[in-house]
This record gives sequence, structure tokens and C-alpha cells, in this order.
Amino acid sequence: MTGPLIVQSDKTLLLEVDHELADACRRVIAPFAELERAPEHIHTYRVTPLGLWNARAAGHDAEQVVDALVEYSRYPVPHALLVDIAETMARYGRLTLSKHPVHGLVLTTTDRPVLEEILRSKKVAPLVGERIDPDTVAVHPSERGQIKQTLLRLGWPAEDLAGYVDGEAHPIELAENGWALRPYQKQAVEGFWHGGSGVVVLPCGAGKTLVGAGAMAEAKATTLILVTNTVSARQWKSELVKRTSLTEEEIGEYSGTRKEIRPVTIATYQVLTTRRKGVYPHLELFDSRDWGLVIYDEVHLLPAPVFKFTADLQARRRLGLTATLVREDGRESDVFSLIGPKRFDAPWKEIEAQGYIAPADCVEVRVNLTDTERLAYATAEAEEKYRFCATTATKRKVTEALVAKHKGEQTLVIGQYIDQLDELGEHLNAPVIKGETSNAQREILFDAFRQGEISVLVVSKVANFSIDLPEATVAIQVSGTFGSRQEEAQRLGRVLRPKADGHEARFYSVVARDTIDQDFAAHRQRFLAEQGYAYRIVDADELLTES
Amino acid sequence: MGTTTPPRTLAEALRARGDESLARLLRARPDLLSPVPNDITQLATRAGTRASVVRALEHLDRFALQTAEALAVAPDPAPYGTLLSLLTGDGQDDGDHRDDAGAAITAALPAALANLREQALVWGEDERLRLVRTARELLAPSPQHPSPTGLGPTVAEATAGMSPGRLQEILTAAGLPATHDPVSAVTALAGLFTDRTRMAALLDTAPVEALSVLDRLVWGPPYGEVTPNPTPPVKWLRDRGLLLPVSTRTVVLPREAALHLRAGRAHRVPEPVAPTVEAAAERDPEAVDRAAAGQAFTALSTIEELLKLWNGGGPAILRAGGLSVRELKRAAAAMDVSEQVAAFWVELAYAAGLLAADGETDERYAATPAYDDWLELPVQDRWVRLATAWLAATRTPGLVGGQDAKGRALSALGPELDRSAAPEVRHRVLALLAGLPPGTAPDPAGLLARLRWERPLRTGARGGPATPAGSSAGTPSRAAGTGYSAPPAAAATAPGDTSDLRSRLALWTLNEAELLGVTGRGALSSQARALLAQGPGEAAARLAPLVPEPLDHVLLQADLTAVAPGPLKRPLAEMLSVLADIESKGGATVYRFTPGSVRRALDAGQAATDLHAFLAAHSRTPVPQPLSYLIDDVARRHGHLRIGSASAYVRCDDEAVLNEILADKRSAALRLRRLAPTVLAAQTDPASLLEGLREMGFAPAAESAEGDVLITRAGARRTPPRSAPTPVPEGPPVPDDTLLGAAVRAIRAGDTAATVVRKDGAEAASAGSLPRTTAAETLATVQAAAMTGSAVWIGYVNAEGSASQRVIAPVRVEGGFVTAFDHTADEVRTYPLHRITGVAELADDTGA
Repeated sequence: MTGPLIVQSDKTLLLEVDHELADACRRVIAPFAELERAPEHIHTYRVTPLGLWNARAAGHDAEQVVDALVEYSRYPVPHALLVDIAETMARYGRLTLSKHPVHGLVLTTTDRPVLEEILRSKKVAPLVGERIDPDTVAVHPSERGQIKQTLLRLGWPAEDLAGYVDGEAHPIELAENGWALRPYQKQAVEGFWHGGSGVVVLPCGAGKTLVGAGAMAEAKATTLILVTNTVSARQWKSELVKRTSLTEEEIGEYSGTRKEIRPVTIATYQVLTTRRKGVYPHLELFDSRDWGLVIYDEVHLLPAPVFKFTADLQARRRLGLTATLVREDGRESDVFSLIGPKRFDAPWKEIEAQGYIAPADCVEVRVNLTDTERLAYATAEAEEKYRFCATTATKRKVTEALVAKHKGEQTLVIGQYIDQLDELGEHLNAPVIKGETSNAQREILFDAFRQGEISVLVVSKVANFSIDLPEATVAIQVSGTFGSRQEEAQRLGRVLRPKADGHEARFYSVVARDTIDQDFAAHRQRFLAEQGYAYRIVDADELLTES
Repeated sequence: MGTTTPPRTLAEALRARGDESLARLLRARPDLLSPVPNDITQLATRAGTRASVVRALEHLDRFALQTAEALAVAPDPAPYGTLLSLLTGDGQDDGDHRDDAGAAITAALPAALANLREQALVWGEDERLRLVRTARELLAPSPQHPSPTGLGPTVAEATAGMSPGRLQEILTAAGLPATHDPVSAVTALAGLFTDRTRMAALLDTAPVEALSVLDRLVWGPPYGEVTPNPTPPVKWLRDRGLLLPVSTRTVVLPREAALHLRAGRAHRVPEPVAPTVEAAAERDPEAVDRAAAGQAFTALSTIEELLKLWNGGGPAILRAGGLSVRELKRAAAAMDVSEQVAAFWVELAYAAGLLAADGETDERYAATPAYDDWLELPVQDRWVRLATAWLAATRTPGLVGGQDAKGRALSALGPELDRSAAPEVRHRVLALLAGLPPGTAPDPAGLLARLRWERPLRTGARGGPATPAGSSAGTPSRAAGTGYSAPPAAAATAPGDTSDLRSRLALWTLNEAELLGVTGRGALSSQARALLAQGPGEAAARLAPLVPEPLDHVLLQADLTAVAPGPLKRPLAEMLSVLADIESKGGATVYRFTPGSVRRALDAGQAATDLHAFLAAHSRTPVPQPLSYLIDDVARRHGHLRIGSASAYVRCDDEAVLNEILADKRSAALRLRRLAPTVLAAQTDPASLLEGLREMGFAPAAESAEGDVLITRAGARRTPPRSAPTPVPEGPPVPDDTLLGAAVRAIRAGDTAATVVRKDGAEAASAGSLPRTTAAETLATVQAAAMTGSAVWIGYVNAEGSASQRVIAPVRVEGGFVTAFDHTADEVRTYPLHRITGVAELADDTGA
């Protein structure tokens, strides 16, 4: 009755983190269970078929999984659950994808009825070629990703033994002069390289770019990097020049403005998914070189067409980077099956404890609307309600008061609605960065902010991702994309880069009380709360009087 | 009893037995006791009745049954040595392993025989063993009931009715001296077949193909189908009597010949020793007990959850009894289990008396008062109650979802779910589990094999006594090539076959035992051992230390969840389940606080301060700020709006008038309450309120829902919308052509029946009365009509008792039925002969 783990009937595992065996337990369950929530006392892991199959792929067997559960469990583990785990794991490896000297790629089975079953599926039929012998069927090499994805959905995951192409070799070294990869970054690179392909999940500000650079140094091959936008692409470039042996000339940018293809090419999702006359003209980029590694930055934003191209890239090593594998479209499993399983994951709080990301104080400021505003809100059209309550004048006043309170600190005001931001910019006398701001102008403003020449910057959602604002210590969120959890996490990430003086970051969410704004805020905060970032809720009146 | 004369009848044998021995007989066959027989003769007679013998045979273990089967094919009476060699073989065939089996049989036979004697199925001393005649008839091979031995009839039985000439030919072909006496011919042939050396010599001359034909028949079924022109090997065998004709197309291998080919063995595989139950896994007995205790705990909470679900009025009872499929699905979803498992829990609650029909007119299921008492018991006693009820229950939830013999779905809690064999099988399975060392999980296949050995299904007895003669196993199927049937799967119960009720019951027992926590990871727990061996008290004592101690605290987290890292004390659990939603169950419980759940707690009468105090008292960790804030925020708005009901209101701009009304004593009956300075709410309807206020001297006016003053005016009363009546035409509707044609035909035929000139009895059947003839006469006349194809006139009383006259042309008369073309109805019908009152032939000229 002393184990740190409680096995629930819905296949979640509750781990008591203060228990002396918690760390040991975490290590043994990590290969097969997904960390779902990591609040302060009890972490929740979930055992999924995908997780169990990934464990099999990584060389763990059912016996080990069962032993781990039985050993650390506080209460008897339901027998049915153990049986279910064994049965699920036994489904993996009945089918294998491997290279064949004549047929290229073949699917073989050790259990003929399984092959018969999957070949009868309408979804599998177009992906396979002739039957070579009773246990083997040819697979079109281009369908390697598709068939893996389909088999996974059918519950008979294939073990992929076909390996990877090395790609065109290109010397890349990390230039560790005066810095070194952090231990968890090293682990992430090793985890990825050992597994071949996969996703690394690290909080914003924890140095995902360096994990990418580390992976490139392992691959020593031409690399295609896919990023969300041009600003992000430039930052990747400057970071790579700084941290690796690569020179400016070796790195190409493939974006709306420039179309360079070099040994290391950084392309934006936007340019790849541009469609002209029903075709994607820039897709040839994937085939333009013999890439040895493809890196997907912010993989949770991977647009649907890129999924499809990725399915065709199964012979190349793929690395996905993200802070939150929460996809609002629920396509997490596609990410896992096409890019690869999660290879590394660390709770945010753990990295914070190691001092690599700044501690943050998250505060939700509840604003009481005025009576006229409440009446106007009550009568607003349903689709206008959120916009209305998110942009009320009262919120603007509170925001201004917050900025005033943190006068002298580098402050970001983040919002969704341009007119609200313009208005705020005017009142705060601060520049506004929005979609129409040119890239050059953006870089000038970011630079000024970095230098401390301006201390308040108002940004729209264009700044959600991959902008590097090292000294932002206060972020004030006034409105967002409804209840998007990953947006909330990205925005918090803006202030998590470690501060020079080590002091705590502030993240404010200004929320109108008793409106839909409050409901969305609750939804948005859930992810962070589950990462251990507990929000304090403060009444705006109290906050303003105390300052 | 000291007598030296051997018994001549079963009665004598019984009479010679001691009282103890008779008591044992009656215990083994309790059906002999009802009613208590008058004397030994009557006891013996009753012991020999078919029903009783069938029942006794069905309770034999496999080896005892095999012994009885061997006796049934042995001469009557049979000496012990003959019986033994039928089981072991006469040692002519093969090697060492046979000797081992032989030794086992030799060792086991006396006990099996004693068992048969005990049950009065066998009597007589060892040199003259007699199987009770009824048992012999049941077990001896016949074409209708093939024996499990796979042996056919004896030469004498198979040649009965054969022409002496044919017998002679066989004798000659077999190389035997000719004799004209059929009896001695049969004896000579049987003698040849039973003589090892001569028979071996005869078979040495057989063509190879003939031997392979024999190979196919030797282990049964012994019947084969032949073409009119058999192949040479078959012809060779038939000529020598090794195959004897049964009908024009069927031949049989006589018993003596088959026994020779089997080296004298009656059974291919004698099974003198019960199969041992193999261990599938050895587990740590303590881990087993813990796992079982964990499951026991789950069982209790599942039952609680189920009955809680039905607290506010359970599901309605189907008219045919039981729970509808939809309700079962709903319960299964609520308990988060499959429907099959849900059926088990529902039936268990029912069997334990925790759940019953409420007996109202609109009958529903609900928890019983016993459930409330049960809830108060300690955990271990609650479990013991369930386990005890389960052990004794004849209800079999495993059947739910299947169909009964008539194709009706079997529903949970419904009728038809009782299987009397269930408790016996359950006890037997658990006893076998108890026989294994602690911590051992059995191999289910081995367990089933053992159960089948203990109570084998008699071949042919499976379909019940109603199985039509000559069905499946007895009917040879034709195989191409040789013109012989290949033997179908010999035994009715192949080892892997789990379709019989006892095997299914056994499998259900294993599943249910695991669900209930009687077993843990497949092995019998020590608490269950105690329950079986020592009783409830000991079982509860064993279980008590294994049950987790209820906790009085939870862990609160900033993501608005509370985790109870174990079972909670009941008041705490109840309060929490109101205050928060349950998100995940198992060893621990995860609760989530939402505005809705907090509001629920406030609705239940808790104040925000109570909730804060409650959380602070039961949380091991500080209450997170967002949670406190959530409670305050919900409490702030809770009850802000108040809702009540009133039948009418009084409103007046002058507050003084309302003061006056309230002050007036006469207004008490109107039950007025002041909601606002200018508004009163009343619990009386508007009309009475108007009346009351008028009596008090006021002049109120009624108001519409929109606030306008209602002007009262006598309104004309109207019905709801109604359609005009449809006209009722005179007389029936006009018939169509088909109906008319049929009517005319019926009238004509009836006319023929009434007016035909009958050959005889015409005067008796005059004026529309039915013809009357005796049964024999009726049969003869109808049969004659069927032969000649002529029509007859009959009187017929149908199932409702109404009489009619019909003219029919009989086609066939069989089994008490006449199939005939009915001229009155113009179709072929079947009439039971006993319903025909009489028959008369028609005069030839009028025959239809």
C-alpha cells in the first residue's frame, strides 16, 4: 500500500509526485504512458494503444509494462486492464514494412489472418500492390506513410523496418563556444536520433531551435526546415549561423520574397501551401534535394496539406518541434503517425525548476463591466458577443492601469482585435505590430524593444509564434482566439525566457466577468493549469486600489 | 447377509444389501424416493424405469459410464474378466503405453463397478455381472441410438430376417461348413469372428482396399452406405459377412468383427483417470488475495453505483418480465462496463436481494430495504453477502442477450434465466480451484475437460428424448469413391467444444468469480477458500485486512481537480460527489470542480462558507486560490434571482390599499404575500381572489397576461375542432369479383355436399345433420377413397367445436391425419381423423 501510482479503470495513471519513488516510477512508465496533466500534487498519465505500440517500437514488451504497473501501483491493478495491455501490445509487429530487393517495399506478416483482414479493408486496397506470397504483399514506396497511418487506424500498426535514406551529406557541427546544449536538450536530441523520427515537446523558451541544431549536427546532411513565418525563418537562420558551423551562404530562405535552395533551406508553411490553379507549385521543394532531415517547427500548427506531403516523406528522418501538442483540430494522432511518436517530453515546471525557463506568475484579472456595457452585452448578437465583451472600454482602462503599474518593465500587450489594439496603442503611446506591418518594420520594432528603446509593444496574433523577445517580463493578454489553449501557452511562452536578473515574469489575462470571455478564459487556462501554471484570480478593483 | 445363493433379480440383489448401502443408493438417486416405495420389489421396479435410469446414467463420471457401456456390449451376464478385457483390450495389438493404460484401468475398474452397483445399475456377483435391462437398452448400440462405443449390432441381431440361402452363401465364402439351420449358421459365423487366429487368417486374404474400408468403420459409426453395384473390396467384405446388410443401401460392421479389429476394446480411449487440472500460472498467493480484494472492493462500489443510478425510480419492468435492452445498455454505460458484465451486476444485486420489483401498478425495479441495511455493513461483510448469494444462485446472467428455444430474447432479470445446474457447476469449479495450491490459476481448457469427465454428456442424450430416430449420427452420409461413408466426428463432445450448458456455466463461473473478486488474477483467493471451507465469518475475517482503509482527505489542485488517493469515508464521498463531478474512477477518484458542480452544492443547501470549511478540513494541501475564487464567484450569483409560484397576483399603485388588504383578517384565506410595495402574490386562483376581494368591499378588475383589463362577458361555449361525421351506408360494402367467385364456389360445393346421392347412410344424414360412422369405418372408407382417388362426404368438427360438412378427395392417410383436396375450400388440407364425425361415399355420378 505504498506505491506512488494509482491505476484507474479508465486507463489513466495517477502519480503522486511527492512520493519518494515518484521519479523512479516516472521513468518506467514514461515509455508507454502519455503525460496528460502535471499540476502540483498528482500527475496524470494515460495509457493509450498508440503509447503502448510506441513502447513496443522502442523495444519494451508487455511483460515490462505489466511489471512496472504492478510494482509501483498502490492498489491491485485490475486484471482486465493487464490483459488488455498485453493484448494491445501483441497487435504490434504482426505486420512489418521492410525493403525488398525486387519489389522495393513489402508488407509481411507473421500472422496470416491479420494480413487477410487488413487486405480486405477498402482503405488498404489502393495502397498495396501484388501479393508476392501468402505472407507478403508489395507496397508502393510512395504510400509508406499512408499505409502506416491506415494500419494504425485499423489497429494493426506496422513495424517499419525499411529504414531511412541518409540523404546528401553535408558537414554540420555545433559551435559550442562558450555555451553547451543543456542536459534536457541533449536527451531530446539523443531520444530523437535513437528513435529515427519523432516529436520533441519542450516549453516555449526552452531552446527548441537548439534541439533542431543538435539533430542537424547528428545527421550531418542537407536539411529542410519548415517554419511558421518569415520572421521565424530569419531567426532560425541567425541562430543556426551563431550556434553551428554553418555559414550564411549555406542557409537558404524559401519564402514569399526569396526562393533560395541551399544545403540547409528554411521554408515557411505558407509558401508551401500556396495554391495556384489547384496545384501546389512549391511542393517540388521537397524533391529539389536529397534531404537527409526534415524539421517541422511548431508542429501543432502543421497545416493539413503538409500532412499529405509528409506522408510521402517516410524514408527521410523527420523531427517535429512544439511546445504544446494540443491541436484544436484533434489531429494529434496524425502528427504521431506521420512525423513520429513523441520522443521527448518534459513538464514545464521541471525545466523551470532547473532554471532554464523563467518562473511565471499567471494572473487572471476579472473586470466588472459597467451597467451600460452589461446591457449592451446582453443584447448583442450571439456571434458578436465575444468580440464585444473582449474589447470593452473597461478592459482597456484596466489594461492601461496594469501597464502603468509595471512602468519601466518590458511589457507586451497581446490581443486579437486590430481596432482594440490600435486604440490601446494610441492610449499607451506604444507602437502596434499587426498583420499589415511589413517585415522590415517588424524587425526594427522588435530590435528597439530588445534594446530597451521602447518598453511597451502592442502585438496582434502575428506575434504568437517564434518571435524572440528576450527581455519581455510582462505580458498582458486582452483578447484571444476564443478558447484556444495552445495560443495561451504560446503567449505565456513570450515571457518565459530566463531573465538576466532572474526575476519572475508576469502574465496577465484581462477578462470581463460574467461573460463568455470568462468561459473562454477558463478553457484557455486549462492547459497551463495542467502544466502546473496555476492562475491566481484577482478582481480588477482590488488590483487597482493596491497599486 | 450370509446367503450363498446368488441373486436372481435386481430386487433380490437389493434385498441382500445392507441398510447403509440402500441409504447410499437413495442418496445417489433421490428420485427413487418420491413417493417412498412400498417394498424392495417396487424399489427395484422403479430403479429400472427409463426416466430414473437415464437420470442415474447422466450423473455417472466418464469411466463409470464407459464401464456401463462396455457391459452393454458384453454378453449378459458377463464375467468380470470379460468386462476388464473389453476395457483394456485383449493385449493383442500394441506396446508399452497400452500396458500403462491397462494398469490404470485394472486399478480403476473395481471402484467404477462398485459405483454402478451402488447405484443399482449393475447387480450380480463378479462372475455374473448384469446391467439393469433398461440401462442395457439405453446403452446398447441400435441404429437409432448409436453407442458411444461406435460398435454395431451383433451378428445374430444383424442377420435376423436374412434368408437362409444368403446365410449359406456367406458361410461358404467365409470357408465355414454349410449348415441348414440358421441358428447354428449364425453361431458359426460369430464364432469365426470371435476366434482370433481364424479371423486373422481370414483377414490376411482380404484385399488391401477392403481393410481400409474396415478401418473407416471400425471405430464407428459402423454403418456405411453402398451403391447397388458395390466396388470389389466392398463386395468381398459383404460376401464374407464382414459387412451385413441393414437396408438396401446400408451395411453394418457386426460387433464381433469390429471387436476383433479393435483388439477387443469397447472404447478407443478408455479414460480411467480423471484429467488433472493443469496450472496456467503460478502467482504469489498474497498478490492473488490483494488482487481479489481489490476486485471485491470494485464489485461493491459497482453495485452501489448501479443502485444509486436507480435511486430515483429504476427502470420499468418489461411486460414479459425483466429489463429492456435499452435500460441494460444505459446501466452498462453508467457503470462503464460491457452489457454482459452489466447483466451480471444487475443479476447479482437481484440474487442478493438488494434489488427487486416495487410491485406498483406501473412496475419498476428499485433497491430493497435490505440494500440500506447492507450499506451499513462493513466492507468485508457486504462482500460476503454478495459472494454467498452468488454461490447459491440459479440465475445465469451469462444467458442474457441470447435466445430461448422459441427464439425469444432472454433479458436480464427476466424469467427463463434460472438454470438448476448452475450452483452445482459453480461449486464444482470452485472446488477444483480450491484443490490447486494457493496462488495457482488453472488452465480453463483443462478445467472444462475435467468437468466433462465428471459428468460426460451421453451421446444421443444431448437433443433430449425427443430426438427423432435415425437423426444425424445414425444416418450414414455417402462418400465418393468407395461408396462408403466416412465416420463423422465420433464423440459428441470434442475436447474443445464449449457449447454445452455445463461448459458454458463453468466458463461463466470463472469470469464471474474474477469480477466478484472470488478469484484474483485467475487463482482462488484465500478469502474465497475460507468462504467455501469455513463459512462467511472466516471469509470476512480474511478479507478485512486486505480492504483499503477509507481515507478522510483529498488532494486539491490548482487545475480545479481533487484527487482522493483511495476509497473515501462515506460522508466525505457523498459530499464531494455533490460538490464536484467525478472524472475518473478506480483505486483513486478524480473529482473536477466546475461552476455547475459548485452550484449543485449550493442548491443542496450548502453555504459558501460551509464549502470553504469543508475543503479546508479535508484537504491535505492548501486550498488553491482559483478554487476558493470559483466557490465565491458562484456563491455571489447563486440565489440572486428568486423563483416561486403564485396562482394570482394583486397589484395596485396605492401602497396603502395593499396595506389595508393585508391587515384585513378576511384576507388570510387568500394566502397573500407581499413581493414588493405594490405587488401581492396569492395562492388562490384569480377567480376566487376576485370573489374574495369583492366580498371585502374592493372593486378589483381582472388582468390579462399582457396586462390589459379583462372585460367579462358571457362567452358561448365551443368544442375543440371536430370533423363532421362520415355517412354510414346501408348494408355491407359491395363485394368484388374475387370474393364473389369464391363465394359461388363455396356455395356450389356445399350444395353438392348436401344433395349428393350417397351410397349408404343417406337417410341417416338427411336434413343437414352430420354423417356418423365409427372410427374404424371412417378410417377404412377414407383409406379406400384415397386408393381409388374418389371423393367422400365428411362431417367435420373444427378446433372451435363448430361442425361442418365437406366434400373431400383424400390423397393420403397417415399418422391420424387425412390429407385431402377439399372441394368446399378448393385447396389441399389436412384433417385430424378424430375430428371427422363420419364419412359417406358419394354416388359415382356426382363425384367432383
